[in-house]
Amino acid sequence: MLQKKICLLGAFGVGKTSLTRRFVDSIFSDAYLTTVGVKIDKKVVSVGDNQVSLLIWDIAGEDDVSAVRTSYLRGAAGYLLIVDVTRAQTLTVARSIRERVTAEIGDIPFLCLLNKTDVDDWDISDVTIEELNSQGWTVLRTSAKTGAGVESAFSDLAQRIAG
Amino acid sequence: MAVTFPSDVDDAAEADRRQRLSDLLLEVARALDPNVATVLPRQLEADPRLDAVKSVLLRNELDVLDHLQHTVDDPAQLADTVSRVLPHAVTLSGERDERLGDALAPAMERATQSSIRKNPGTLVNILYPVMGPAIRKAIAEATSDTLQGLNQALRFAFSLRGLRWRMEAWRSGTTFGDIVLKHTLVYRVEHVFLIHRKSGLLLEHQAAADATSRDPHLVSAMLTAIQDFVRDSFDDPSAGDGGAIDSLRLGDLLLWCEAGPQAYLAAVIRGSPPEALRMTLRDTLAAIHEDLGGALADYDGDDASLGDLASRLAPCIKQQVQPRERRLSVWLWAIPLLLLLLGGYWLFTRYAENERVADYVERLRSEPGIVVTTAERVHGQWRIAGLRDPLATATQELLQRAQLDPALVVERWEPYVALSPNIVLKRLRASLPALPSVRLALEHNVIHVHGGAPPDWIEKARLLARALPAGAPPVDLSDVTDVEDPEYLKLREDIQSQRIYFSSGAPNPTTGQEPALDQLAANTKAIMEVAHRLGFSVRLALVGHADATGNQTANLGISIARAEVVRSLLRSRGIAPELMSVRGTGTLEPLAPGAAPDDMSSNRSVSFSITTISE
Repeated sequence: MLQKKICLLGAFGVGKTSLTRRFVDSIFSDAYLTTVGVKIDKKVVSVGDNQVSLLIWDIAGEDDVSAVRTSYLRGAAGYLLIVDVTRAQTLTVARSIRERVTAEIGDIPFLCLLNKTDVDDWDISDVTIEELNSQGWTVLRTSAKTGAGVESAFSDLAQRIAG
Repeated sequence: MAVTFPSDVDDAAEADRRQRLSDLLLEVARALDPNVATVLPRQLEADPRLDAVKSVLLRNELDVLDHLQHTVDDPAQLADTVSRVLPHAVTLSGERDERLGDALAPAMERATQSSIRKNPGTLVNILYPVMGPAIRKAIAEATSDTLQGLNQALRFAFSLRGLRWRMEAWRSGTTFGDIVLKHTLVYRVEHVFLIHRKSGLLLEHQAAADATSRDPHLVSAMLTAIQDFVRDSFDDPSAGDGGAIDSLRLGDLLLWCEAGPQAYLAAVIRGSPPEALRMTLRDTLAAIHEDLGGALADYDGDDASLGDLASRLAPCIKQQVQPRERRLSVWLWAIPLLLLLLGGYWLFTRYAENERVADYVERLRSEPGIVVTTAERVHGQWRIAGLRDPLATATQELLQRAQLDPALVVERWEPYVALSPNIVLKRLRASLPALPSVRLALEHNVIHVHGGAPPDWIEKARLLARALPAGAPPVDLSDVTDVEDPEYLKLREDIQSQRIYFSSGAPNPTTGQEPALDQLAANTKAIMEVAHRLGFSVRLALVGHADATGNQTANLGISIARAEVVRSLLRSRGIAPELMSVRGTGTLEPLAPGAAPDDMSSNRSVSFSITTISE
């Protein structure tokens, strides 16, 4: 079985951990996030006829991009960049993280997930989303609360890194 | 192209043709040999026909020269040509001498230095599979066992078990540290993870048969994250990218990590592993890097690119159980013990036997009348030989006193006459009639005779003393006294004066002598009692007589018959027959020498005498 390392990145409180909790296999507690700064989960997705095992490094969110432990990024085949649609500032952080990651490990596949889409109070406009799309970002909408878009997000990323 | 020569026949034309031909040949030589070209001036430059001839004669050679020139002038072709012969040329040069190596050495050094300056990792990756194990092995062999032994020794030095092990070390002659190691070297490798260093992806996982763990992929990734966390947290510049957690212990579980350039091995161990296990891990990791270094560097999550890693990790799953205390078989200790006991018993009996024989020989030597000349053990028997006086103590008696088995001793004694005082004393006692009234004793090597004895006994003792050989102890008879008991003397006188008379030719006493016979019997009984009281015995001798009438033979017969009749008469009067002896003298011992009737009557009688006898 093909196995790939992917990372979950985003600002603090964007819902990374909530996003994965219902959809992954995990043996470690969330306490690792506050101690070591990372928690490892696993999710097996299908890519065509093949199964791909995604080792998901849920990296603790930081408001300061430079504080993200870049050593955790090494060897990643792709990543999910999580944005809280109710806080536009998290998109700014996401942009910073994106730049940081590209500088550290190169331009690898990634998806931008607009999380908390079940909430009506959006702080990110469609124009902004269009801008992201125009910059080559793939933007998907997810909801950790309802689970909407989560499975497809993982499958999409797996497709991009293993297809 | 064809060449046509003029067909003139005059001499001038012929000379000109020859000159041209020689010039042509010289030009050909110039073309073929550069040395000729340098010494001979070109003479036919202007002759166009020469080029024609050259093109005809040297066309192939010129083509070859052109090709060679092109090859030399074109760097790509020249490199291609040289590359074909270079390996062989290098090989030949290396076999011939060392000049090529000397020439290349500076360039190689500069190249290596340049490579290190450019990217040290390249050289590290190249040398890691070779140098890593060699260096680690050398260092580990020198220090690891010693350190581990020291640690264990300190740990157990003052415990009760430590004291017991110290005793074991003392008994076995080994060091205390070795004994501690022997007892504590118990471990089991439960899991081995081969993890891609860059991504933390699990490359291979092997576990012991009954070992349990969570998802190894998650474990390997988290382990990598923790490694990164520790490295980042402490920001140890000396560790660099090669730094990694070496070991972690949680209770009885031990995690050993061995890092390589592209992957690292993590072993989960229960117990206390020996340092040799770390060598196994290192060698395994080095072998994997050596064979799969490139594949590991390019690893993208596809396990198929790495081939069979399971068989490579399998040897790392090992364990060492504490050997059970082997109980010795009963026979293993019983047989040696039995042999020891038998050996000890044999030695003891042999020693005891030697002691008893020595005691016996000593007794023999101290015994008067025995001289031991040989005492030796031959074929399981003691052979004792020497001289022995027949009157000396019997050796069987001494043998019994020494508690020796008679079958164990073979004796050979030559008889001799001993002059030792004790033996001489024995000899006197054996030769003289034993009298209760007489006592023989050895005093200061002189045999003294004390007490009273009949005169004939004293006379016999005197004769024996005189017959002793020179060197024998002297015999003192001065203290022995002659027995002169009045009652005894009177009774003896009465008995010896008594006569019993017979008629001529008759064997029976004449009538009227019964009172005389009664008196004789009474006196005989009395003297026997007196003699017994005095310590000796007497015997009554009856002597028959006959008168001179008749022939001698008849007289002898009648004298014996008269004595026998009197003995019978005395026997009937209570005298024991064994205390009486009978003898007939016929007319040979007449009591009255004359031939008168009274003398004749006196000779027809039986007379009596008393003799002493031994008890």
